[in-house]
Amino acid sequence: MSEKKIHEDQKYVDGLVANNSFIIQAIYDTFVPKVINYIKQNSGDADQAQDIVQDTIITIYNQGSQKQLQLTCPFDAYFFLLCKRKWLNYLKKNNKKEVTINEEVLSKDDDAQELSFETSLFEDKQVLFNQMFQKLGAACKDLLKATFKTKSMEEVAKSLDISYAYARKKKSLCIGQLTKLVQESPSFNQLNY
Amino acid sequence: MEAQDYTLFESYLSGDLSKEEQIAFKARLDTDHAFKEAFTIYKEFSSNLEHSIGNEEKNADFKANLEAISAKYFNKETTTGNIESKKTFSLYKYAIAASVALIMGFFVYNQFSGGASYSDFNTHQTVDFSVRGSEGNVGLLIKTTKAFNNKEYEKARTYLEELLQDDPDNVEYNFYYAITNIELDNFAKAETTLEIISQGSSAYINRAKWYLALSKLKQDKNEACIAILKTIPADADDYSQALTLLKKIE
Repeated sequence: MSEKKIHEDQKYVDGLVANNSFIIQAIYDTFVPKVINYIKQNSGDADQAQDIVQDTIITIYNQGSQKQLQLTCPFDAYFFLLCKRKWLNYLKKNNKKEVTINEEVLSKDDDAQELSFETSLFEDKQVLFNQMFQKLGAACKDLLKATFKTKSMEEVAKSLDISYAYARKKKSLCIGQLTKLVQESPSFNQLNY
Repeated sequence: MEAQDYTLFESYLSGDLSKEEQIAFKARLDTDHAFKEAFTIYKEFSSNLEHSIGNEEKNADFKANLEAISAKYFNKETTTGNIESKKTFSLYKYAIAASVALIMGFFVYNQFSGGASYSDFNTHQTVDFSVRGSEGNVGLLIKTTKAFNNKEYEKARTYLEELLQDDPDNVEYNFYYAITNIELDNFAKAETTLEIISQGSSAYINRAKWYLALSKLKQDKNEACIAILKTIPADADDYSQALTLLKKIE
């Protein structure tokens, strides 16, 4: 992966991360019409397309922000595959009728397949992480919120009136607990760890 | 995993381990599958929290902006359908065709008119500072982009000076600051910057030479201009323009 050349379309990912309105608008103008067409042709409507597109863009933003996304293929193919997969999952989940896949718009780009798969996996993980965080006890939740908000362990220790060493140890144990929760969850095996 | 393993993960991620400890840690990652799996989840979860909690406001801003753009886009989509977009598309095509014709006419005219002036060559590439600057003051970057592309060089100068205050070594800012200065007839300032860039190792070396030549041209220093033009290599973006200019003034 890391040896592959970054595609010039990485600018779209970087633009999303920077909350650049020009880039967001350009994504809508350039890449979204194809997605709308696809969804409309496969038992969906414009409102549903709007949601699928928006969720997909948020996922790309999240993955890009965590510096885990380096585009090695055109944004077009990657984005379309992501939206398509999300739409098919939605139909499956809601027991909607079988779709007629329009083969013409399917991408044959291996990099796009692989990369969009990684992003879908990333999204599944994020969903699970958020669920597991909610399961955490109040003390751990508060400590982690304080830790990641202020970013300085010294300040966190001070504000919670505990020692620096203890705060750090506690932080690692709380994330450790989350790690265990993830490993014990029923969907863990689908996450490719 | 035991409690001490998680503490070890944390120390590794915050860079608190000694060199020897780091080597031992990496070796264990290679051999102990359960250790590696737990560490991977730990690391990814930390990154998730850092983003979801640490960037909470930024994320909310992004979502609000996205929703606004999305709403506007889909509103248009449902009210006007595809016909509208096709219409604008063909309008674009005509506009592009017209500008191409205009530019060709312009070049043909210039080819036969002999001599050259700065205004024949100062069609600067449009820039977008905000695309590359993924961090920093996006508002200012957008303002700078607009000012420069709209040829509002007084404004662009002020904004670029502001940007350079925070990031004095940024080659891109310096390069466009120099162009702005040529436009504003601050030649000495422009040329000092361009000379530094043209001797550096950035992607702007050849473009800096081209603009150095243009700066001389604008001051009617044709000999200096010719000398610089001859240093522009054949693989430079501006080579064909440089050649055209050279033919005219030589």
